[in-house]
Amino acid sequence: MAELNLDKIYSSFLLAIEDTDTLDKLIDIQKEFLGKNSVISEERKNIASLNDHDKKKYGQKIKEITENIVNDIESHKLKLVKAKYKNREEKEFTDITIDWFENTGTKEHIISSVMEEVVQIFSSIGYTVAHGPEAETSWHNFDALNTPIWHPARYESDTLYLDKKLDNLLRTQTSTVQVRHMQEKKPPIYIVSPGRVYRSDQLDSTHSPVFHQIEGLAVDDAISFTDLKGTLEFFVKEFFGKDIKTKFIPHFFPFTEPSAEVLVSWKDNNWLEILGCGMVDPNVFEKVGFKKGTQGFAFGVGVERLAMLRHNIDHIKNFYDNDLRFLRQF
Amino acid sequence: MIILKSWINEWIDLSNISDNDISEGLESLGFEIENMKIVEPNYKNIVVGKVVDIYPHNNADKLRVTQVDVGNNTYEIVCGAWNFEIGALVPVALPKSHIVDNFLIEKREIRGIVSNGMICSAKELGLWEEHEGILILDENIKPGTDFSSTYSSYDTSWEIGVTPNRGDCMSHLGVARELSNYFDLKLITNSFKITPSIENVLITNSGKIIECNSYASVEIENFKITDSPFFIRYRLSQVGTRVINNVVDLTNYVLYDIGQPLHAFDRDKIFGTISVRQAKNKEKITTLDNQVRNLDESDLLITDNDKPIALAGVMGGLDTEVTENTTNLLIESAYFDKVSIMNTSRKLNLISDASIRFERGIDYNLQEDALVRFIELFSSNQEINYSRTLIDDKKKIQNKTVSFNDNEIYKILGTKLDSKFIAKTLSRLNIEHNIDKENISFISPSWRYDLERPIDIIEELAKHFGFNNFESTLPYGNNKNNPGSFWNLKRYFTSKLRANNYQEVQTLSFVDEKSNSRFNPDKKYVQVFNPIDTNNKFLRSNLFSSLLNIYKFNLEQNNISEKFFEINTIFDNSKHKLYEKIPNQTYSVGIITPSIVTNVDLRGGVLQYDIHYVKHIIDNLIGDYEIKSISKPGFHQNYSYLIIKNGQNVGFFGQLAYNLMEELNIESPLFLIQIDMDSLENNISNRTEYVPLAQYPFIKFDLSFTVPLEFKAMELVSYVKSLLENNENKIDIFDDYVKEKSRNLGIRISTRNYEQTYNEEETRGLLEMLAEKIQSKFKITLNMSKS
Repeated sequence: MAELNLDKIYSSFLLAIEDTDTLDKLIDIQKEFLGKNSVISEERKNIASLNDHDKKKYGQKIKEITENIVNDIESHKLKLVKAKYKNREEKEFTDITIDWFENTGTKEHIISSVMEEVVQIFSSIGYTVAHGPEAETSWHNFDALNTPIWHPARYESDTLYLDKKLDNLLRTQTSTVQVRHMQEKKPPIYIVSPGRVYRSDQLDSTHSPVFHQIEGLAVDDAISFTDLKGTLEFFVKEFFGKDIKTKFIPHFFPFTEPSAEVLVSWKDNNWLEILGCGMVDPNVFEKVGFKKGTQGFAFGVGVERLAMLRHNIDHIKNFYDNDLRFLRQF
Repeated sequence: MIILKSWINEWIDLSNISDNDISEGLESLGFEIENMKIVEPNYKNIVVGKVVDIYPHNNADKLRVTQVDVGNNTYEIVCGAWNFEIGALVPVALPKSHIVDNFLIEKREIRGIVSNGMICSAKELGLWEEHEGILILDENIKPGTDFSSTYSSYDTSWEIGVTPNRGDCMSHLGVARELSNYFDLKLITNSFKITPSIENVLITNSGKIIECNSYASVEIENFKITDSPFFIRYRLSQVGTRVINNVVDLTNYVLYDIGQPLHAFDRDKIFGTISVRQAKNKEKITTLDNQVRNLDESDLLITDNDKPIALAGVMGGLDTEVTENTTNLLIESAYFDKVSIMNTSRKLNLISDASIRFERGIDYNLQEDALVRFIELFSSNQEINYSRTLIDDKKKIQNKTVSFNDNEIYKILGTKLDSKFIAKTLSRLNIEHNIDKENISFISPSWRYDLERPIDIIEELAKHFGFNNFESTLPYGNNKNNPGSFWNLKRYFTSKLRANNYQEVQTLSFVDEKSNSRFNPDKKYVQVFNPIDTNNKFLRSNLFSSLLNIYKFNLEQNNISEKFFEINTIFDNSKHKLYEKIPNQTYSVGIITPSIVTNVDLRGGVLQYDIHYVKHIIDNLIGDYEIKSISKPGFHQNYSYLIIKNGQNVGFFGQLAYNLMEELNIESPLFLIQIDMDSLENNISNRTEYVPLAQYPFIKFDLSFTVPLEFKAMELVSYVKSLLENNENKIDIFDDYVKEKSRNLGIRISTRNYEQTYNEEETRGLLEMLAEKIQSKFKITLNMSKS
């Protein structure tokens, strides 16, 4: 009979919460059914008068009903809260197709980000960054790099000098950093030197009086031509992607021998030249005072060229105009 | 340089080799292919005709009427050119044929006479620019022959880059020699022998001058100036040279053929002995291009008994030029020193095909052969009488024997090369050699100046082995993933500034004087001696002018007011910090902050910044630093400060002076920062020391003081920090109210003890202690709070 009573209580509870539409009313109901002097607590008092068997059975039933009521109140509460915010969210809407924010890019100049990327690639195989003066001596820019006195690169039409005697100049290649580095340090050397170089060219679509190069140098025991090949193939794949093919063709640079140019396979089956490299000429090691038999390789790559190729930039002037319409594309 | 397949074919038999294979060969031998062109006739159905009769045109004085035999028929053709006579062989475009650019030729009435086609000039057939009229063909061609079959009209040309160390490849023979190695083909040798029939009139004696190692000449009598043979004109025009007459064309031909520059003199304008000497200072010569050249002692002259007759190796003199009236010739073939020719050519800005070859070094044994080649070509076209060749050879140039151990090859290349391969390659390259066990010795041939050391031979072997046939190995350096302090600092600054929404720029390093003097009136600028643009001949002494330009440019062009920075080098002519001889250079960061910045959120208003923000940015970049007021040119007199880090000046910042704003037409104030990156390279630690978090509640109180106008609020903050150094603190100025003669300064102190909770009494004690110490230290008064 008592059990029947409990069932009735639960039914009346269900009936009570069915129409409850505010949290306050729900709390009242909670008090009515579970609080002090509630119907449930009255029932609980009756337990004492029962025999052991009934006590256990009846106690079990009260626990069950209580749990149900607690759960039902919780879920009803959740329903009410949701209903409340559903309404609020329904009222809130926006036209998401509008771009209120101007595209501002990475804030880094594309030349800097390409340099950073190249540095990261070489850093991952153990190279550090070396740097040096941009206004240099002709000795560091030409003589130490085994450039013959008759070499056209020395012409005033090609190189910007700082004095009449042509003793000082604006470096035409960042290889000057390699020379300084070798004068100061001993092998093993694994460095890259990113930086500005200067040539006597008017700014137009393909030339700039200022541009950026990254040169690399590895001097270590038995560094050989195969090492040079492997290193640059690694670089090209890291920078341009795994599918790109490379080929090495002979070239001439005063400071390396053998010298090569690296070409990469590009769209329409074209091969494009992207790097100059070679085994460091023994004369260069002699000039910086390294012992006979020292071996190493060097390479150089144009930063603007890498950027232009990869991003399809057609005009070198873009890099130096610093028009935000250009800068913010990257 | 342009090379022609049919011409190379004179030296090696390329008949079984495809153009693509040749291209691949050229590239793998180190000739960069700048352009490859299939040469085809730019005309259709042109035949060779023989002019059998010429008569006047009754209705036109400037036209003539011809009868032309084209083999199976003779046609009447009207012609406007006058450079041919009866008997001439000419290209004829009969009706239905096409001349250059697909232009259709039809039977056509010209002033009352029907012309059955057209007699063509070289230009009309797309061959070369001709100023003289009709193209006259070589004798002995049968009338009616298809014109395109009379020469190698289907051909291929390559424009190749020859590296400066390979002067020997500046000719068809030179390139053919390289290809003969690549394709394993025999080089064809020339067996022509000369048969002199006259005595030499002139004497050549080059004297002792070492810049002329050898001087050879030959004299030719009784020749006629004519057009050169058709194939010579065709080939020269294909390699990009203007066709002139037989003498000039043949000297050019020998140059492109075997690489020896020749010069033709009118022999009858030369007297006595031909010799070579240095020019005297201010001596003059008028060169063939009718320019008076001022010389000095570094220039080489060819002279006769009484005058200079040529600027050696560069250009001939006008006085002894070969003209239409010349009947006797002297052909010069000499070896001049490369540096001397380069200096003269560079100084006079006079570059000729000859000077380019001398500069790179020509074969020192080729002088006599070149004269023989000239005679061979000349005499095959015309009956001429010529002398024997005279050669004055000092024999000062001799390639030496070099030896090395073959282990060197493996060491450099990282791959073992087979000794049979080595021997075969050296033989093919005409390099005299001897391989004895491990020892290799060699002497390079007379045309190779680039093979003086073992490394030169190793390169040669690597090239012929094929660079792409080497394996690839990847060595690792010893410093993985740490590019070093220089780069790390640049990265650190860049990332900080990007995070604060500054846009990086890269600007050119050249500026005008004003851009420097605005901020650095000391005039210690570095100047370019040979500037590209004389207005911008200075290297910048600050980064501000470039940043201001970029700021203004984007404001005007794009209507965007943006914050910018640039990390680059600035220059001044004081001594360099580390190195001798070069000007000082400082790797710096320049930062420009406009007071009004365009908001990227289009719904928002502008963003506003002031000098305090700028100061905060510096703090963000370099951590704690001190400030000292200075008076910096170009800056606001009160808003101009030195940045001092660890006792060292590392830069400065401030507001752009109002007068400069006016001058630059800038409307709202701007703030500028320049920081010397070099001095910070080992001065910034981006590893912060952890401060433990106190577990007890904070107490917080605001104190307000009356302070003098010049009071430095940060000194107060630091002092309070020092008084509470054992606590966890947050101490800030929250109010700075400036009155006419004094200021009210509010400081908010929030502090927690690490050991305990402050009770009321302790809190009051702390507050009293602070108030008292502050008042006595700074001699300022605590304002009593109203409440």
